[in-house]
Amino acid sequence: MIAVTAYSNPLSSTWRRIPGAWRQPLAVVGFGIAAAWVLIALLAPWISPYDPLAQSSALYQAPSAAHLMGTDELGRDVLSRVLWGARVSIPLAMLLVALAFTIGGTLGGLAGYLGGWVDELVMRSADFVFAVPTILLAMAVVAALGPGLFHAVLAVVLVSWPGHARVVRGLVRTTMQSEYVAVGRLLGSPTHRALTVDVLPNIAGPVIVLAALEIGNAILLLSALSFLGLGARPPAAEWGSMVSTGAEHFEAWWMGDFPGLAIVSVVLAFNLLGDSLRDAFDPKAMIKARGA
Amino acid sequence: MAFVLTHLVPGDPAVANLGDQASADPVAVRIYREHYGLDKPLPVQYVVYLRNLLHGDLGESEQSQRPVLTDLEEYIPATAELAITSMVLASLLGITLGVIAALKRNRLTDQIIRVVSLGGMSTPQFWLALVALYIFFFKLGWVPGSGRLDAIVLPPPHLTGLFTIDALAAGQFDVFVNAVQHLILPACVLAAFNMGLFTRFTRSAVLEVLENDYVRTARAKGLPELTVVFRHILRAASPPILTVVGLAFGNVMTGTVLVENIFSWPGIGQYSYRSATSLDLPAIVGVMLFVAIVYILVNMVVDILYGVIDPRVQVA
Repeated sequence: MIAVTAYSNPLSSTWRRIPGAWRQPLAVVGFGIAAAWVLIALLAPWISPYDPLAQSSALYQAPSAAHLMGTDELGRDVLSRVLWGARVSIPLAMLLVALAFTIGGTLGGLAGYLGGWVDELVMRSADFVFAVPTILLAMAVVAALGPGLFHAVLAVVLVSWPGHARVVRGLVRTTMQSEYVAVGRLLGSPTHRALTVDVLPNIAGPVIVLAALEIGNAILLLSALSFLGLGARPPAAEWGSMVSTGAEHFEAWWMGDFPGLAIVSVVLAFNLLGDSLRDAFDPKAMIKARGA
Repeated sequence: MAFVLTHLVPGDPAVANLGDQASADPVAVRIYREHYGLDKPLPVQYVVYLRNLLHGDLGESEQSQRPVLTDLEEYIPATAELAITSMVLASLLGITLGVIAALKRNRLTDQIIRVVSLGGMSTPQFWLALVALYIFFFKLGWVPGSGRLDAIVLPPPHLTGLFTIDALAAGQFDVFVNAVQHLILPACVLAAFNMGLFTRFTRSAVLEVLENDYVRTARAKGLPELTVVFRHILRAASPPILTVVGLAFGNVMTGTVLVENIFSWPGIGQYSYRSATSLDLPAIVGVMLFVAIVYILVNMVVDILYGVIDPRVQVA
C-alpha cells in the first residue's frame, strides 16, 4: 500500500490553484459583476421600478429621474426591461452551457477513453461543426424550425458541443496516461470508476474555466440570433431584440445602448472570471485542449 | 453532411418562398416543388445534388432564381475585401498588444490590455456596429453610412472585385478613397472580436517562450530589445498564434452576417441571412460549402507556414 500512495490522485492540486485566481484583482471584479447580474435576474420582479411589458403614453422619453434609462417606442420603461432581460439571457445561457457540456463532455470523454472508431466519428463530426461558422449553422437551424427562443437555444447547443468535446477528449487522454490512473486500473477498478473517480475530478479545473468562457459566448450568440429576429420575439424583454428595436429608432440611443451595455457587462464579467481562472491553472494545457 | 442536415429540418421552403397566399394554392406549391426537384425523395435529391456538384453546379437559388454559383461570385468579393481588411487589422493590433501584455506580465499595462482585449471579445458585434454608426456617421459625419461606395460613385472596372484594389489598378484615386472610407468602419467593428482573441493567445504563447534559455542568452548578449522580440520571441511563439489566426476565419464569417446586415454591405453575410430566413436551401448549402472550403484552405496554408517558420516540421 505504501507504493500506491506515492501515486495518489493529485486531486487537491487542481483545487489549490483556485485561490491563486483571487490574487488577480480583475477576477474579483468579474466575479462581482457576474454575481450582481445573477442577483438581478433572481430579484428582477421586486427591484424593477415598472412592469417590463406595461405600455404608457410616455413614448421615447430620454433618461430622467422617473425613467433612469428612458422609455421605448411603446412607452415601456427601458430600465425595467433591461433588468428583466437578465432573467432571459443568464439562465438560458447557463442551461445551454450545461446541455452542451453534458453532450460534448460525454461524447468527448468516450472518444478520449475508447479511442478507435468512436473517437474518429465524434471528432470528425466536431470538425464539421467547426468548419461551418456558428451563426450560419444556427441561422439555418432556427430558420428551419421556426424562430423562437427555444429553437435558438437548441441551435446554439448544436453548434457549441464540439468545443466541450474537444477539451474533455484532450484532457481525458492526457489524464489516462498518468500513473495514478494506471495504478488504479492495476488495482482492479472498473472503467466507470476509473472515469468518475480518477479522471473526472482532475479535469474539473479546465472544465470550469471553459464553462465560464462559454457562458459569455452563449449570451453573445443567443442575443445575436434575437437581434436578427430568430430568437426571442417582441414584446419579450430580451437584450438582443431590444438592441434590434433600438436600431430602428436611431435618435433614441438609450433604447438600444442600455441593453447593449448590459450584454457587454455580463459577458465581460464571465470572460474576466474565466480568463483569470485560466491563468491560475496551467495555461499550456488549456491552449492545447481548447483549440479555438 | 450540410445537405442532409439542412434538409432534415421540418420547415417547408415552398411555404417560406411563395408567401401565404400562393402556398394556399396546391397547384402553385406542386409546380414549385417540381421545379426545384423537391417532390422527389431525399436520397434522390442528394444524388442529383452531388452529381451536379461535380460539374460545378450548386443548384439554383430559390430566392434570386439564379444559379447559386452566380450569386456567390457576385457576393464573395465584397465579403473578401471586408474580411481580409479586418483580419489584417485584428492581427496587427492583437499580436502587438499580446506581446506587450506578456512582456509586462501582471503589471498595470497587462491588466489594461486584458480588459481591452476581453472587452473586444465581450461586445456584441451588432451593437458595436450600431454604436459606431451612431457616433462616426450620425453624430460626427466622419464616414459615409452604408454600402461599399457612395451612390453617385461608379464601381471601378472589374478586375478582382475588391473595389480598393480595382480602383488603384485603374488609377481612379477618388474611387479608392471613397471605397476605403466605406470599408474602414465595418472592418474595424469586425476586427474587435478577433483582436481580443489574438491578444489573449499571443500573450500566452509569448509567456511560454519567454522562460526559455535562448531568450535569456539573447538578452545577455546585449541585443536590442526589439531584435529579441522579433527574432527570438515572436518567431518561436508564432505557430500557436498562426493556428488561432487560421481558426478565426470562422469568427469573421459569423461577424459578417451581423455587420453586413447593419452596414448594407452586399456580401456573403447578407446573402446567407436572406437565404436562411427564406429557407433557400440550395443557397444555404452553397454558402456553407464555400465557407468550409475557405476554412480548409486557410488551415492548409497555416500548416504549410509552420514548415516555413520551423524547418523541423515536415509538411506531409
